[in-house]
Amino acid sequence: MQLLNLKDHEVFREWKEFLESLGISNFQENELAQIDSTLGMYNDAGSLVATGSVAGNVLKYVGVCNKFSVHGSHFNTIISSLMNLLAQNDIFHVFVFTKLKYSQSFQHIGFNELAHTDLGAILETGDTDVKDYVHRIPQQPNQADLQVASIVMNANPFTLGHRYLVEQAAAANDLVYVFVVSDDVSLFSTTERLALVQAGTADLSNVIVVNGGQYMVSYVTFPAYFLPTPDEAITYQTTLDARIFKNAIAPGLNITQRYLGSEPFSRTTGIYNQVLQKELAPAITVHVVDRKQASGQVITATQVREAIAQNEIATVQDFLPVTTYQFIQKHLTTLQARIQKGMTIHGN
Amino acid sequence: MAENEERLRRTMMFVPGNNPAMVKDAGIYGADSIMFDLEDSVSLPEKDAARVLVYEALQTQDYGNAELVVRVNGQDTPFYDNDVKAMVKAGIDVIRLPKAESPEMVEKLDQDIAAAEKQFGREAGSTHLMAAIESAKGVLRAADIAASSDRMIGIALSAEDYTTDMKTHRYPDGKELEFARNMVLHAARAAGVAAFDTVFTNMDDTEGFYRETEYIHQLGFDGKSLVNPRQIPMVNKVYEPKAAEIKNAKNVINAIQEAKLKGSGVISMNGQMVDRPVVLRAQRVMSLAKASNLVDEEGNYLEK
Amino acid sequence: MEIKKTAIAGTLESSDIQLTISKADNGISIDLQSDVKKVFGDQIESVIKDTLAKLDVKDAKVKAVDKGALDCVIKARTIAAIQRAAETTDTPEWEVL
Repeated sequence: MQLLNLKDHEVFREWKEFLESLGISNFQENELAQIDSTLGMYNDAGSLVATGSVAGNVLKYVGVCNKFSVHGSHFNTIISSLMNLLAQNDIFHVFVFTKLKYSQSFQHIGFNELAHTDLGAILETGDTDVKDYVHRIPQQPNQADLQVASIVMNANPFTLGHRYLVEQAAAANDLVYVFVVSDDVSLFSTTERLALVQAGTADLSNVIVVNGGQYMVSYVTFPAYFLPTPDEAITYQTTLDARIFKNAIAPGLNITQRYLGSEPFSRTTGIYNQVLQKELAPAITVHVVDRKQASGQVITATQVREAIAQNEIATVQDFLPVTTYQFIQKHLTTLQARIQKGMTIHGN
Repeated sequence: MAENEERLRRTMMFVPGNNPAMVKDAGIYGADSIMFDLEDSVSLPEKDAARVLVYEALQTQDYGNAELVVRVNGQDTPFYDNDVKAMVKAGIDVIRLPKAESPEMVEKLDQDIAAAEKQFGREAGSTHLMAAIESAKGVLRAADIAASSDRMIGIALSAEDYTTDMKTHRYPDGKELEFARNMVLHAARAAGVAAFDTVFTNMDDTEGFYRETEYIHQLGFDGKSLVNPRQIPMVNKVYEPKAAEIKNAKNVINAIQEAKLKGSGVISMNGQMVDRPVVLRAQRVMSLAKASNLVDEEGNYLEK
Repeated sequence: MEIKKTAIAGTLESSDIQLTISKADNGISIDLQSDVKKVFGDQIESVIKDTLAKLDVKDAKVKAVDKGALDCVIKARTIAAIQRAAETTDTPEWEVL
């Protein structure tokens, strides 16, 4: 067992050919760039027989040649080596996205499946799990008797459009959970986004803002390197997201309603909304709320980020709650510096 | 020299100390010595886990009559102290010091063992030690190292590190090890301790393994270090005494018994005096013959 | 002994057991997965519990994935995980080994 240096062309070529022989074909730059470490196992003849990588707390590019492996022993060895590697960095809560046929193999070594589709499954293991996550979310004493709604948002940053969606839900339900997607690819950090949503909804007494953690996985961060086409990837990702929400999150919180903003622009978000409606019904009723307009324009967070990049934030003042606007004013140079450094402002 | 009765040490099997499957099964292959490794086969983050695993296995597993050895981490590592303490407490037979380069290093280990024996209430002197010679420095001081402790049972040549130190690597013919092998062997014999040859790692080269084992047998090594249990019967075969040797040895043993019965201090055979080296060799041949299942406990030849 | 952080010991290889120990505030809980759970589950759990008790660990959450480990292996992995979780690896509790 050894660490593989994928920057070494020779090593990379052998690693890539090995995985390709096992049916893994996506080696796009953005997938590869996320890899923190890669382990490889060689046989006596010096050929690669098993490999696996870690990206944050997600296992990726796991490939095992079972020709010489007794009862999946190479698989178990590579996974426990990856887990021990993560443990050295104090990472104990581990996820894996994998082809459906390997879900059983992971379950056999202590992983719990969160959700699956025909194309793939998401599993977790470690010192905490989705039950702990749900358990930590604040609840009302009489939660079982309440009509509880939910919204999942990236809020990058929180706009009056988001606020409008929350208001609609708050008015029609006893309690609303706003899950803020946790990721590190947004212009506004998770902590900042969470704080701005909290500040922008502080006056709504029946709204609880929650960090989405890794269960409200933003579909942009789902790895899908083992899927052949982008459309399959989107459908797979959004279906998993919906099923985790429906099966693992909603029941423990008595959530029966989900609110979405209508999506006139983004094709992927459009697919996402369609999948959600299909997957969540009938246990959860989906409400699609038309986007709020300001000055005759649909409000989007993308426009806000563009205005920051163009140094024209006054043009989006009408789109934003005071709290968000003040935050941007105060941190304008920091935000612009992030864009300068290459943080993308497009997408979600 | 740690003990008077000469014990067979044809095979010393290396067992990675953090591998439960191998630690558990180490006793079933019939190795004369089992060496649990806490050093090179264990990665840095697993040093603590390997130490505990070997410790617990030693408390509960039955390794038969095998001599139990643990290779601790070197004295220049933060693991050495706890390794020595844990293994003395566990009641290990022998602690193997890696990368021995001077008698002072062995003396330090001797003192550390003595302190641990006291701390954990083990009989003083009950823990033996051995040293691995793995460098040019070690080879040149092999004689001093071999004679540096009353606990010493033997010294071993470790060729991987040694050939690296010598700016070469291992070749099939082993010429690069000639000097070191002879130095280690002479140092061991002069000090009256065992000499262990290095491992042979190419499992596919059976012929090469036999060639090397026959060669070190011819030189006079007690035995060989092994990484794979499949090599145990191969080494034993090489060390198997020939029928004529056994016959001769039996005659010597009979002569000893005769002398005892007569109350004579002088052993004679065919009218010639039998001196000490001949007696020792005869005893060694008979113990090899028994270990190889060529004779029974009474020394009767077994037909196969 | 107090569990200060999550720690893992052991592997998923044959004859081993992978143990994850983390903080808890309400006694000992053990989540065991094993192919031989039906027959040996109680025994595996009791080895883990005994070892925790010997090391005076009162609150801990344990996740164990057993791959056919002997009792001595279970004990060894539990000790290693506890020492890592309690950050006492360099100062072992000799008397309870």
